[in-house]
Parts: sequence; structure tokens; C-alpha cells
Amino acid sequence: MGFLEPRNLVWALALGVLVIIYLRSRSRPTLEVSSLMLFEQAPAPSARVHHLRLDWLFWLEAAGLGALVLAIAGMYAMAPARAGGGRSHALVFDLGAAMSAREGASTRLGLARQAALKIIAEAPAGDEFSVITYALEAQVAAPQSANLAVVKHAIGSLQALAVAAKPAALSAAIIRARGSAEIDLFTDRAPPERAIGGAVGQAAVRVHQIGHDDGNLAVAELDPGLPDSTRGRAIVRNFSRAPQLADFAIDLDGNPVLHQPLMLAPREQVIVPFGPLKSGGLVRARILSGDAIAADNVRWALARSDARGRVLVLSPDAEVRGDLARVLIAVDPNFQIETVDPASFARAGGAVAARPYALAVMHDCEVRGVAAASTLLIFPPLSHHGTAAAPSDSVRAKFPGLRVEATLGSATMNAGLARAQSAGAVSALDATRVLEVPQWMNVLDYATHGSAAAVTPIVAVGEIPAGRAAVIAFDVRDHLLFDPDRLDALLAVVNVTRRLTAPANIRIVPTGAFVTLASSGAAQVEPPDGSAVTLMPDKWGRVELNPLQSGRYVVEAKGSRTIVLANYYDAAESDLAQPRAPAASSSLGASAPVSAPGPKQVFPLALILVAIALGAFVAESIVLVSHASRWGTGHV
Amino acid sequence: MLEARAFEPEFLKKLDRLVLGIKRARTVRAGNRTLGRVQGLGVEPENFRDYTAGDDLRFLDWNAYARLDQLSIRTFRADRQVEITIVVDASGSMAFPARDDKLGLALAIGAALAYVGMSDNDPVRMAAFAMRRGEMRLELTPFYHRRESYLEFKPFVSALKCGGETRIGAAVDDLLHHRRPAGIVIVISDFLVSRTDYEDALARLAIARHEVKAVHVMGEIESSGAYPPGLYRVRDAETGAMRETVFGTESAQACRRKVEEISAQVREFCAARGAVYTRAFGASSLETFFEHELGALGVVR
Repeated sequence: MGFLEPRNLVWALALGVLVIIYLRSRSRPTLEVSSLMLFEQAPAPSARVHHLRLDWLFWLEAAGLGALVLAIAGMYAMAPARAGGGRSHALVFDLGAAMSAREGASTRLGLARQAALKIIAEAPAGDEFSVITYALEAQVAAPQSANLAVVKHAIGSLQALAVAAKPAALSAAIIRARGSAEIDLFTDRAPPERAIGGAVGQAAVRVHQIGHDDGNLAVAELDPGLPDSTRGRAIVRNFSRAPQLADFAIDLDGNPVLHQPLMLAPREQVIVPFGPLKSGGLVRARILSGDAIAADNVRWALARSDARGRVLVLSPDAEVRGDLARVLIAVDPNFQIETVDPASFARAGGAVAARPYALAVMHDCEVRGVAAASTLLIFPPLSHHGTAAAPSDSVRAKFPGLRVEATLGSATMNAGLARAQSAGAVSALDATRVLEVPQWMNVLDYATHGSAAAVTPIVAVGEIPAGRAAVIAFDVRDHLLFDPDRLDALLAVVNVTRRLTAPANIRIVPTGAFVTLASSGAAQVEPPDGSAVTLMPDKWGRVELNPLQSGRYVVEAKGSRTIVLANYYDAAESDLAQPRAPAASSSLGASAPVSAPGPKQVFPLALILVAIALGAFVAESIVLVSHASRWGTGHV
Repeated sequence: MLEARAFEPEFLKKLDRLVLGIKRARTVRAGNRTLGRVQGLGVEPENFRDYTAGDDLRFLDWNAYARLDQLSIRTFRADRQVEITIVVDASGSMAFPARDDKLGLALAIGAALAYVGMSDNDPVRMAAFAMRRGEMRLELTPFYHRRESYLEFKPFVSALKCGGETRIGAAVDDLLHHRRPAGIVIVISDFLVSRTDYEDALARLAIARHEVKAVHVMGEIESSGAYPPGLYRVRDAETGAMRETVFGTESAQACRRKVEEISAQVREFCAARGAVYTRAFGASSLETFFEHELGALGVVR
């Protein structure tokens, strides 16, 4: 038993209304009679009558309403499936990166496809199939259908993604499939019992564990170091139980930096130093020799450019200017930093303001006319309510929708809301602004304040066509950034600064992470597989990209061109020497029933319930007509 | 409403040949003396008697005196009529249960008996009684003798409304206060009143030498106890008293027992006092009543 639409059970409130009506009708209606003499010998009401009076009308109506509510909620029963009688199958595919591992002339996903097609071919005519995939999330590739051509086409279109398959996504996929009589799960590793057991319900799940133990090499990490300063390093990991020979190469903007063979012991992790690089640029590390998974054989990193970016620091407090300058130098020693009092900067006028800056940092002030690619507001002044739109040359024009509402005397900083909820407070802050952050900005940190532990955003960053912008709500006076007990504040400033000064035309992100890019119009995306995708900007002029393949994405929009490089590495997913399922062999087609009490199928009970409801209402009508004919309509 | 049937031609046609029989002679006697032999009244000779001083000389039979030389007085049968009074209970109890139309049944029976009573040109009147605000209101129509005047009862019958308490004794007091000659009094009521009240009233009518006929009217629902099942608070239509009861099979049986008990009590009392008792239970029994109960009321064909 179960419900396809359990939310519709809210209609059961109608039964409550019925009970109220019934109780009201039971409240002893008054009937005028000719004389009480006639009732001298009539029995007096007893407690039994008060509580258990049998009212056919009530029970018939309750039965009818109850049946209708259950029908609306999609009540179904699980019954043994009839062979060939439209039995439903769900084919659930793991699309994690490991499914792209080579298996002979094919891949694990290819073998899974073959196994699924074999099941379809052997199924009796009339059986229905659905195709469900999971990796980061569960998706229905083909809804339940008896049209086998559609199902086969959906299976043929499946592609492994360069992400790790999440157990939560597996549970979601099983939940979506549990309406089927049989669930066939195609994966390369034993699924966690917890991920299936709680979600499967009464359906039978057959796990088809695809693939053999195989060796795999992966570039686990790439640190380019500082050009002309420190050496870079790459980490190569061997997941195989056997020694592996790898042909490893590193290049900088296409120019070879390192090319050497590596001999890795079983399950060994090797650190490969290189450099120092002579200049900044795009560094790529590759394993040239083929192995099982190609997605983790390449990794990009960006070596800091030696171009001297100009940074303007504005603060009315000289100590703050000094602190911020030191932090910025630590972030990038190549920064040319100018620290100016806002009043002096305003007096200097256009000569100073006309010079472009890579980053403008404004603490407790907003100075108009600063030309900067990125702007960071620290402890911004309060917004003026009721004023018209900010002038186009004002700082706030780069922060549309941002409002600074009030000032808190103290707050407690939490590094991320999740951490705030789990690990508790981290750093105590003094003066902190209350921000109303617009949707185009991503909140990186929160703070709690007050006895009710209200949460307010304190660090946010975003990018729109007007430029990159970030805001930090807390004040950094009194050398907050160098307080060893409040290092989270320093980390927040460093993190924001790095985001604001990163190259605008190139992004290096992990696969599965969302990348937000400023775009004033539709953006054409060319993924690594060569296909083309068009992304439409939102009202803030942003497009969002979720790279699920490792490699190079080219995003072009109105003359701007951005390269997104997606790195994939997941130690668990890349490890192909995973333990097998206890009852399954490693051969194709071996199946291990995880929860298989016998093939059962969902039988919706809607028709039966509606029939019960109609029967109840017809019986109620008969009773009503009988009452009306006997005592008149006034008593019905 | 049911009382309207009493004025339908088809219904009256069935009553055309009926005559209300009267037990006692139209002459009223007291002891050995016939009070009805009032000299000078009537045209039908009855007897001769010896002249006594003080007799009206207009009735002296001069021919007999000439032949027999004896003074004789001619006597004549008094040409007297019997007054029929039909008293209908118009108390609040006659209005419930509304579907029974008990008052309509009582009025239909009363009007029909009035029509039958006018067959011999006897004076007939209708009356209705009920206590209103603590005072007995006895509404009386004039006497009508001829059937051509029967429709004069229609406004009275149509306009009659129920209300107030049943006080048959007070109504009889009012009626006897008019000091009319003894006649026939037909009391139509549900007799849902204390036993002493109706027994006292009927006894006093009998003592006043009226020929008493009681028609017991009950509705079909109340006589069978067929109320809608369930727990109810029932309120007395006349007194406003309330009590809780559960309508069902058991209560229906109890109601029927009580109705039969009341009916038996009235019947026994009437039998003991020489009065006539008939009953009409249920609105549908109007035809049945006239077919089977008229004989008991003294109606002859």
C-alpha cells in the first residue's frame, strides 16, 4: 500500500468538516410535539446513545468522502506482477565518472546498456520500461512506457559524467523508480544498502554490478607554485593493485614544462615537482598513457600572472589602510597598492580617479568616480532610504539591489551557514552592517546576532556586466584582520580578494560546480564534447553553467570569450578496485537482489475507491429519499 | 388543508342522505309532566284533557262541550327542535405534529356533522375553544338551521387557528353559561389533557341534560409514534415543557401504548356517562371515520 500523491491527503480535512457537521447535528435538535404525555413511557437517553448512535447517513458519507480522498491521493496496492500483463520495469543507471571506465573494447556504461537491452529483449510483450539516471542528482531519461523504441533510444543516449555518483542521488532515483514492479540497477560498485533500503519500498531491486577491478591513474592535485619563485607540484595517484607506468607531462600555455615517465607502486601516490615556472599562465598536467578513466588524467591550474595589477585602498582609518595593504600584498605580491584617505582622494579629483584599477577596496566609505574592474566594499555606509536610483558613476550603481540597513553592535561570524548550524560560532565581530543582499550575489559567510540568533549575511560576492563586486559587512578596525583569535575574518577577506582579482576570461572549477558568468546577452557554450548549448541570461545579466564533463568549455557572448576549465578528481569514484557486492559476481549480468520479496507491481486503486464512493453516495441517497418520504424533507 | 374538504360538493354529496339520530324525544319531559306540551305551540293535536281553571280558553273544544256538555281542552305536540353544538378543540396541541393536520381533521369532522345535523333543520352551531393568555376563549357561530346556510360555517372553519392550552372544563363552563336548552353537544378533541379536566367537563354537559358525543382525534404520526429516529429534545406545544427522548422503535411502541391508554380512559368514561365515544386517528381516516363511526354517533341513513 502507498500513495502516489500523498500531499493530496490534505483533502482528508473534509472528513473533519463532516465530523463537525455530524456532531452539530447530534446536538439534540428540538422537536415540538402535541403533548409530553405521549412520551411518559418512552425510554430516556442513555450514554450509549450519546456516543455510539449509529447514523447511516454519517457513515455512508464518511465512507464516500474517505474513498474519494484516498483516490485523489493516488492510493495503490502492491500485488504480484502478472507476466506479460504490463509489468513495469525501471532501469536505473549510474552515470558517475567510473562508468566511463574502459572495459575491453567498450566502457562500463556500454556494458550496462547491453545488459539493459537484453532485459528489454527478454521481457514479455506489453511490459513497460522507464530509464532513470543518477550521478549528482536523479533524472528520468525516459518515463515509463511500452514504446520500446523510445526506451532504447534513451538508453543509447546515456553518457557518463565526470562527477562522482552520490548516494543521495541513488536514493532519489530508487524513490522515483519504486512504483515499478522490478528495478534493475546498473552500477559499477556495490550500492550502499542504506541508500536503497530506505527508498525502495516493496519493489524488487536487482543490482547489476558492471565491470572488473581495473587499474586507474589520476592527477589528484596540481599546484603551479609562484613564477620565478617557488616550485610547483603535481600529485599522481595509482588506484591499481598492480604497479603502473605512466607517461606524465606538464605544460604552461602549451609550452612543455615537464615530460617524464612515472613508475607508481600499487596504490601509490607520487608527488612530481616542477618549475619554478618562468611566467604565469595556464598550467596543464596530463597522464598521456591511457588508463581506465580519461576524465581524471588531466588537470588545469592557473599560475599567477606577473602582471602588476593596481589596487586602490580607500579608508578613513590609516590603520585599516595599512592592514588591508598588507593582506593584499600577501594575496598577490605583484599588486601595486595605493592607499588613500577618501577625503584626499576626492580632493585629488579626476586625475587620480581616471586611472584604472584592477581592484578598488573601500572601507567605511563610498567614493564616486573610481574606475576599477572589481570593487570590494568593507563595512559600507548605511543606505539612504527613499532616495532615487543611484547615479551611474556612484559606487552603489555597481551593486544594484544591495541595501545596508542597520549596524549591529556585535555579531558572531560563522564560516558558512552549514558550519554555523553544526560547529557553532567561530569569531566574534564588533560593528557589523546588516545587509540586504541582491539575488545576483552569492553569500559566502553569515553571522548570527541577538538572543534569538538571527542570521545575517556578512560576505557576498557576485558578477554582473557592470563588473565584479563584493561586500564585507563587518568592520576591520582595531587590527581585526591580524587578530589570531579571529582568523575567519582574514580568511574571508583573502577569499573575496582572490575571487575579485582572478582572471575574468578564464575560470578553473571542479566538475559539478556552478559557474556564474556575466553576460549581457545569450551565451553560446561549447562543451568538451563539441556540442553547442545556448544559455539565456537572467535579469541581472548572468548565465550559469554547470560543467559535468571534464575539460574545456568555451563561453562566448557579445564579443566576450570566457574559458571554463573543469577539473575532475574524486578519490572514491576514480578508485575502480572497489569491493564487489556480496552476492554478485563481477561478470556482466550477474545480479544481486538487494530487496526482492518477489516481483510486484503497482495497482492503482482509484477506480475501486471511486466505485466505493459512488456506492456509498447512492446508498445515502436511498436513505435520504426514504427519510424524506417518511418524515418529510424538513427532517432530512 | 383537510378542513377544506368539508365544503367540497363531492364530499357533501355523500352526506346528503344522512340524518343525525337523536336519542330522546324532541319533547322534553321532566318527571310525569311533559314540559313539551306547551299549550298554544305546535299544530299537531296530541290529546284531550279535562279543563282546569286557568287553562287557555282558546284551546277549549267547544264542539265536545256542545255534544258532551263537558269542558275539554285540546292539547298539541310542541313543535320543538334540538340544538346541536359542535365544539372543536383549538388548543396548541391540535397543531402538532404539523404533518398530521389534526385541527384540519377535527374541523372537517365537525363541519360534516354540522351538515348532517342540518338535515332536519335543527339549529346547528360550531364552537372552538382554547386558553389564550390565561383566559378561555370560546368562539361560537350563530345557529344555522338549513343546509342552504351551511356555507356560513366556512369563514369560521377557515379562519380558525390553534394556540393555547387545552381546558375543556373551562370551555364547558363558558358554553353552559349561555343557558341554552338541552341539546346535543359534540366535543372533538385530542383529549391530551388531564383526565379530571375532560371527565369533569363531559359530566357537567351530561348533567345539563345534553346528549354528549365525544370524537377523539389524533394524528397519524403521534398515534403511531413514528417520529424521525434519533436523540431529540421534545417540547410540549402547550406548556413549553421539555425533555429528552430517543425516537425509535421502543419509543414508538411506548407512544402507541399511551395513546391507547388515553383512548380507553375516555371511552370508559363516556360509556359510564351514557355518552358516545368515537375516534378518528390519522388524517387519512376521514373517509373511514364517516363509513364506520357515524353509526356510533347516531347518524342514520
